[in-house]
Amino acid sequence: MKFLTLFKRTVGIIVLMMVAVLFAGCSSGKAASKKVVHISYWHVNAQTQGGASVDALVKKFNKTHKYIKVTAKYNPNMYQGLMQNLQSAQASGKVPDVVQVGWAYMNYFADNFKYLTPTDAQSKFDGSKTFISKNFTTRTLSFAKDSKGKLVGLPYSLSTPVLYYNKTMLDKYGIKASSLSTWEGVSAAAKKIKEASGNYGLYIQEPADTWAQQALQLSNGAKVKKNGKAAFASAAGVKAYQFYQDMVIKDKTALHTPWAQGVDDFVNGKVAIAYTTVAQASHIKQSANFDVEAITSPHFKGHKATVPVGGSMLAITAQSTEKQKAAWTFEKYLYKNSSLVTWSKGTGYLPPTQSALSSQTFKNYLSKNPMLKPAASQIKTAVAWTSFAKNGLQAEQTMIDARDKILSGSNVQATLKNAQEKINEQQK
Amino acid sequence: MNNRNKKNKTLTIAYLFPTALILLVFIIAPIIYTFYLSFFNWNLIAPTKDFVGLENYFSIFTDPVNRKILLNTVFYILLLLFLNFLVPYFISIIVKFFISKMQTAYKIIFFIPSLFSLVVGAMLFSWIMNPVSGPVAFFMRGLGLTLPNWTNSGAMAVVVICLITNWKVFGYNFVLLLTGLGSVPQNIIDATKMDSIPKWRMIWDIVLPLNKSIAFYVLILTIVQGLQYVFTPISVITQGGPYYGSSNALYHTYLNAFVLYKTGNASALAIVTFVIFLVLLYLEIKFVEGRTNRYE
Repeated sequence: MKFLTLFKRTVGIIVLMMVAVLFAGCSSGKAASKKVVHISYWHVNAQTQGGASVDALVKKFNKTHKYIKVTAKYNPNMYQGLMQNLQSAQASGKVPDVVQVGWAYMNYFADNFKYLTPTDAQSKFDGSKTFISKNFTTRTLSFAKDSKGKLVGLPYSLSTPVLYYNKTMLDKYGIKASSLSTWEGVSAAAKKIKEASGNYGLYIQEPADTWAQQALQLSNGAKVKKNGKAAFASAAGVKAYQFYQDMVIKDKTALHTPWAQGVDDFVNGKVAIAYTTVAQASHIKQSANFDVEAITSPHFKGHKATVPVGGSMLAITAQSTEKQKAAWTFEKYLYKNSSLVTWSKGTGYLPPTQSALSSQTFKNYLSKNPMLKPAASQIKTAVAWTSFAKNGLQAEQTMIDARDKILSGSNVQATLKNAQEKINEQQK
Repeated sequence: MNNRNKKNKTLTIAYLFPTALILLVFIIAPIIYTFYLSFFNWNLIAPTKDFVGLENYFSIFTDPVNRKILLNTVFYILLLLFLNFLVPYFISIIVKFFISKMQTAYKIIFFIPSLFSLVVGAMLFSWIMNPVSGPVAFFMRGLGLTLPNWTNSGAMAVVVICLITNWKVFGYNFVLLLTGLGSVPQNIIDATKMDSIPKWRMIWDIVLPLNKSIAFYVLILTIVQGLQYVFTPISVITQGGPYYGSSNALYHTYLNAFVLYKTGNASALAIVTFVIFLVLLYLEIKFVEGRTNRYE
């Protein structure tokens, strides 16, 4: 009996050792060949907002790259949600490798997280070192530069605000679309519609940022920021906002309401013209039961139309050289024309590279979706979304507060001036 | 005897330990850390925290936005008390003493909305109540009325947001209160009938005092839970706007902490809210639980 137990034990130990040797052999065998690098890519695209095309792109990449495996992770609540998750990831020391960063978060990201700039990545991993300069224009790159002029990431999703109009309604009241190229023309059209039908003429988007309102000010020759300081309370800036306030409060021709409701009101035919991001194009097209068209952003008489660009950039947060290299390879794959067009089709964003914009597949796509055309043409003159060096998120909130106050009827000049001083106080 | 007492004590501690541990890790430690953070300026991620002393607390009571938010919070509490406590109480009394049929049916019908997610409710209501193109506005226009643009007025937005939470909470509070009323001894009620005492006097002098502890429980629940519940519709519909008009202490804490990354201000506000709730809980313990002890 005793012997039997001893025998059993010995056999058990031998088997265990054999298994151990087997596994050791396995791992050493792998190390001899090339190891697979796992990287993670954080994005904000829900299934209804291009998530499917992210998955398709990642799947195709994994198929064609044997030694890199990318895992895509969806972050709810857009760039804000992603930034919140990134903070907890940083705190726990397990950061993702490639992330989408919204323009509004650029300075906050650059100041608080460890990342590899695309310029460094290029000089570290590439033979030819021309990838960035070949694919991006100086203007496009300027979107992704922080307050010190350093390139933080590569522009990835681009959007601009466009003017959508209810063609059926405009035709009914004899308003020509060509008259909507200036804000003065938009206001006149809105008045006509209000008088004739009682409907609102205009809605300008009011999300938790002042992107569209900045476009309004910029198109009156005003500057949001000058020499690193807030400068939107200039005479031109005040005039633009005053114009907007008059339409909302005095004439009651423009609607003041949260974003989702405002777009609903437009697609339900209660507002004739909507000024909102091109990213809403597919939603508007699907929901409106009237003829809807889009044109480029209007400008004030005597000034040029200037719009800030929206969307996001890709930044590399990978820490080890091995992962950084994999992340850079993945990024370069994402900037191929075919990948960018897939991406555009899925999300409604515009491709950031010149060659993708002028590629035949993208042109075909544009001719099928004419509402994207004005947005694409505006990219060439768009400017970076204003991002303040210090307390940038609070500065944006201050501008939102000023917008809320002005649209509730407070004095435009005083409100803008207070907001400007408050922001500049925080820049010190 | 002494030995047994000792054993009891060890057992008590052993039984309480798991709960105490969870409380310590997830409730007490975060509160202490929040209290610590409230003395600093920090953005959640920077390696250094600037010590600013009581500045964050001063700003709560001096900054006009914070004052507005504290006032809003009081407005929310009053409105929630009316909508989520007084109205359900009134209706549960009516259902209990004036309507004899279909009590279970009412319970079920009123309870159904509390099963839905508030996000769904908030999105539904924001569509239904859309002042320009929603169905309510459409019907009102048919009657020659106009629905005011409630999202542009803080007070009206607060009312609509409270109505949305009311839609969710009403049934739950109603069922609680109705059950409480059901536990009032039937023989006392029968006795008042024999003595032909009017129903309203029976309710006022006998039922309400006997049902006091449940009522107090629902009252506190209404305030504490209600302020948390309104968070969802605020976040979905108004984001605290127009100009913080529909924000409250909880939403503003969130805005400071996770949108603007002003951790210090957020922590100070959280601590102030915590103290307010603590006072409310003290009142609850004093009036509700203190009373039952006296009867024992």
